[in-house]
Amino acid sequence: MSLEQISNACLVAGLILYTIAFFTFVIAVIGQKWSNREPLSHRKRWSKAAFAVTLIGWAAHLAFFITRWVVKGSIPTSNMFEFMTFLGMMIIFSFIVIFFIYRSAVLGMFALPVGVIILAYASVFPWEVQPLIPSLNFYWLKIHVTLAATGEAFFAVGFAAGLMYLLRTVDFSGNNKNSRRATRGVEIAMLAILIVLGFIGGVFGFRAAGYEATFEKEVYIPAEQKGAAGEYVTQTIDYVLPPLFKPYDSETSNMDPFLGMEKPLFVTPSWMEGANSGRKLNTLVWSIMIGLALYGCVRLILRKPIGAWIQPAMKDLDPDDLDEISYRAIAIGFPIFTLGALITAMIWAHIAWGRFWGWDPKETWALITWLFYSAYLHFRLSTGWHGRKSSWLAVIGFVLVMFTLVGVNLVLSGLHTYAGVE
Amino acid sequence: MVENTKCECGHQNPVETILCEACGKPLQEDYGTEPLEMRYDGVARRSQKTNRTWIDRIWSFFSSVKIAIYLIIITLLLAMLGTIFPQENTFIDATPQQIADYYATEHGVVGQVYHFIGLSRTYETWWFLTLLFMIGTSLVVCSLDRVLPLYRALHKQKVRKHRQFLSRQRIVFEYTLENEEKQVWLEEFTAKLKRKRYKVRREEDAIMAEKNRFSRWGPYINHIGLIIFLLAALMRSLIPGWYMDEYISLQEGEIKKLPGTPYYIENEQFTVEFYRDEEMNERFREEGRIVPKLFETKAVLYRCIEQCDDPSQRVLEEVHRHDIQVNRPLNYDHVMAYQFDYDFSPEIRSLDVQLADKQTGEIFGEFHLNTSNPEENYKVGAYNIELRHYYPDFVYEDGSPATQSPLPKAPAFVFVINGPGLEKEQVHMYFPRPDDKIKFQQDAINNATGSPFEIKVESMERVEISLYTSFLNIRKDRIIPFIFVGAGISMLGLIMGFYWQHRRIWLRLDGNRLLLGAHTNKNWFGLRKDVADALLKTGIKADPKSLDNGVKRV
Repeated sequence: MSLEQISNACLVAGLILYTIAFFTFVIAVIGQKWSNREPLSHRKRWSKAAFAVTLIGWAAHLAFFITRWVVKGSIPTSNMFEFMTFLGMMIIFSFIVIFFIYRSAVLGMFALPVGVIILAYASVFPWEVQPLIPSLNFYWLKIHVTLAATGEAFFAVGFAAGLMYLLRTVDFSGNNKNSRRATRGVEIAMLAILIVLGFIGGVFGFRAAGYEATFEKEVYIPAEQKGAAGEYVTQTIDYVLPPLFKPYDSETSNMDPFLGMEKPLFVTPSWMEGANSGRKLNTLVWSIMIGLALYGCVRLILRKPIGAWIQPAMKDLDPDDLDEISYRAIAIGFPIFTLGALITAMIWAHIAWGRFWGWDPKETWALITWLFYSAYLHFRLSTGWHGRKSSWLAVIGFVLVMFTLVGVNLVLSGLHTYAGVE
Repeated sequence: MVENTKCECGHQNPVETILCEACGKPLQEDYGTEPLEMRYDGVARRSQKTNRTWIDRIWSFFSSVKIAIYLIIITLLLAMLGTIFPQENTFIDATPQQIADYYATEHGVVGQVYHFIGLSRTYETWWFLTLLFMIGTSLVVCSLDRVLPLYRALHKQKVRKHRQFLSRQRIVFEYTLENEEKQVWLEEFTAKLKRKRYKVRREEDAIMAEKNRFSRWGPYINHIGLIIFLLAALMRSLIPGWYMDEYISLQEGEIKKLPGTPYYIENEQFTVEFYRDEEMNERFREEGRIVPKLFETKAVLYRCIEQCDDPSQRVLEEVHRHDIQVNRPLNYDHVMAYQFDYDFSPEIRSLDVQLADKQTGEIFGEFHLNTSNPEENYKVGAYNIELRHYYPDFVYEDGSPATQSPLPKAPAFVFVINGPGLEKEQVHMYFPRPDDKIKFQQDAINNATGSPFEIKVESMERVEISLYTSFLNIRKDRIIPFIFVGAGISMLGLIMGFYWQHRRIWLRLDGNRLLLGAHTNKNWFGLRKDVADALLKTGIKADPKSLDNGVKRV
């Protein structure tokens, strides 16, 4: 077994352990009400066990990270797979930090799934070690990426706690306008999570079934230097999911039929800028379809909003604690995010491109995220937005973070195109 | 109407004070029981004056945190709009017409509207800059409006506070000391708080414990950093000569003047190194990808000391040399040169050619030809050679010879030769590149003029070739130090403000009746734990959660 294989095995072990830890946290919280046990001691015992499993899982995850570092010879944060696994690792790390402060086991019920979903998302991308292009090989970049991810990981924990606050407090059976709106909001958040799961499931499902479709497209590569002419290059684009949307201005070179669908149904609109935007749009539409289908099934089985189904498990939690944890996680993450996503990014940009700020879409979105969280902090500190409003902001903030990390590469073009991005 | 601002404790407060500066008693009597508004400790702020001039109005507009939040949110939304389509500054060297066409053809009507209303240069528009300017103003005014009163309030705190002040804090604890000896307990409690690194002051039967007051200054220090940052960005566009951004291309061996500076730069050598096959993963290998690992320009910086106006006569003095790589720019006297790109563009720089008799092959002599600024006259043996025309990038335009560019991509020389055995001057054409020789039919031309000569190179070793053009981005940006000083100060403020919290605990004993109130600017959980811990260690059991006085939640 090569070191790279050992490394990958560590990651899989970490993923499995996190999943086990998650279920143990669920038992810790839900099992309190089971008969013949003292609720407090049950919760204490089980959450201790769950936390121990989390720690072991994190150790495995860390082992993956270190061994991959050794294999690669530089810090593994340079493509989507590596970055997302690192983000997942930092999310679990932030959970551990917050756990040591607040000793709140239930947070694990939500922070762990966020980490697990991020890891599962990462695993969709190519795992192999890739060479570094010169502009990525620089220590300021490494500091920038690791710190930004750490800040974002704390925002993820803030998001988890904020969502928990909403699940705990929203009146799902209420009939007034406010509670109906809040119910809808929570259900949209649940749907968004199912869409991410739909993406992961879809890609793995079709990949396992060996589905294939290929397109050819003339791509204009603009000249990088002043005055020179660009050139046209024929690019092959492989689809993992059956193509509902084919790339704009492309030729189908091979396509397996899917449920009687012999050729793509639509063409990707031309204004989608990012690299491989056709495939990404196709993937997005598939994910939404699978997510909606999943959501529909769950609703049919439960016969009530998902939030209303989860709520009873949250009954013993103190909403004020959740609110404070959410805020605290964001307050811890904010300076780290500022340093990582803005300051060190500016230092690196200054050294690599000669300008510390260029309004590149990724840069701009990092600034947008930062502005959003500073608005959050000012709302909270100065105008006293606590609880519900604050929790919604924590949830929306994390959506912005994910858009900055994933969405920008999907719909906008710019400098931050990672190698190996699907 | 003159308001009575004298508190019952005897302290004369400024108008608009909310909580007495000395004892903390609420001055606007509302007989409520809910927790007090403790922001800035209830001192009077300029922005809250009721009697206002227009300056006060502007001041109070910009001092409002609500306005600041609106400004942030508007900026954020506009910044989002600016990322929808590529901004105009991403096009290098495009004319306004080309840019307008781009938005129209690539993005249709939406693109045209986007371009028309100025979103295609969002971040340079007057409205975006005005917003940034307003945020800057808000930062200054908000900070000044709060930091001075807050400093005053925290600088002279009284230990013994009004009962109402304590009972209306967010953390409150009441208890009757029965078994405990009052003075002994107070001593012990003080000691416990000191162990937690609180600074404790005592006045008779009242104590006040405080820690990490410096963290209150964090936000203001952060704001000062941001103001420096914004001011620096403003200075860049106001002060001429502080900012420059140019691109130059340099063949190996080429020297060019750096625009706007007294310097000249030479690309002595350019090297590029690619990942070897075994360094790449399988997929990349199969696809036959070529991934550059490192590229580097050996650059030399000169200053001109004599005859600077004449390129062939000027005398250059070396001042600096540096190997420019991506992420490792040249940096000299505020001028920075970044490795931007490179191009594989083999060019002949110079060559040693021989003049020979076409028939007999006899060699008359040798001379040196440069492809940039070649000399006009050459003496070869008994022959005088004059360079009549030189075309660095030869092409036929409407049947007559011309040059496409000043770069020696397809050099062509037209010589006029005089010497023994020639009746009149002899025209001879020479293309150094074998491809061009055939393409432009050199031999046919020379036969037509009846040239008895041949010009040739002896071997490839006599040809000096440069393989790559290096593209450098030349920049000058004097605000950089201010930017990073500002960012550093900001960061310091953030760390102070977020990783420490200002905690205060007040306690007074009236007879055996103990009343405790506590306040922090963030992390109530931690403060409750501190209080409950200290109480427990002195024998009083209090669940941390029960200390919470309850706050109205929005």
